[in-house]
Amino acid sequence: MDRWLGANGAVRGTVVALEQVWRLAEAWYVDPRQARWRPRTRDESQRVLASVGLVGDFWELP
Amino acid sequence: MRDEQRRNGRAEETISLRIFIYDRILTRGIPPTVVEIAEHFAIDRDDAGRMLAELNIGKTVLVHPATGEIWMAGPFAAASTPYRVLGSQTSWWANCAWDMMGVAFLANEPVRVETSCTDCRAPMTIDVDPRRISRDAGVVHFLLPARRWYDDIGYT
Repeated sequence: MDRWLGANGAVRGTVVALEQVWRLAEAWYVDPRQARWRPRTRDESQRVLASVGLVGDFWELP
Repeated sequence: MRDEQRRNGRAEETISLRIFIYDRILTRGIPPTVVEIAEHFAIDRDDAGRMLAELNIGKTVLVHPATGEIWMAGPFAAASTPYRVLGSQTSWWANCAWDMMGVAFLANEPVRVETSCTDCRAPMTIDVDPRRISRDAGVVHFLLPARRWYDDIGYT
């Protein structure tokens, strides 16, 4: 990863296990074909991140 | 009264368009074009483009600033990306590693993702089952902090 970061002039973000990304996808994605679907507010999205353990400054939404 | 009718009509239009977009993606693999939206709703192309631009559902469906066509409809991408997601009947492009997992949940079926290691470029295959948590040993690198995700969504 350091090689890739160096080659792309990027700085390291955060590394998350696939298992946790699976939990995030499960919590985040609701089928937009549901009639009652609506976009989440910023705070609702923040709570989804927190619900799968993604907390702290890196995960703070604007 | 007229304003209220207009608002209700707009809300129903938004729901219909959203459902049409995702139905098309899930059955065909890519989102509808503006022309296809116009045909589906029996309106002219300009009105279809306007309808799409005014969809206004947060960051869920993003319209390409240059073409006016659907660019992303989370978690799906309209054009090829490094994340090819294969379902039983349809294949999709996902925007990122997070989204490749999201496709399995929206498609509601186990999928196989064909991608490559961002670092060494080695081909990778990842199976994602929405009913069974992924126990693969891989990791995902989130390059940017959440507050910068939408500064440049293509880069993110």
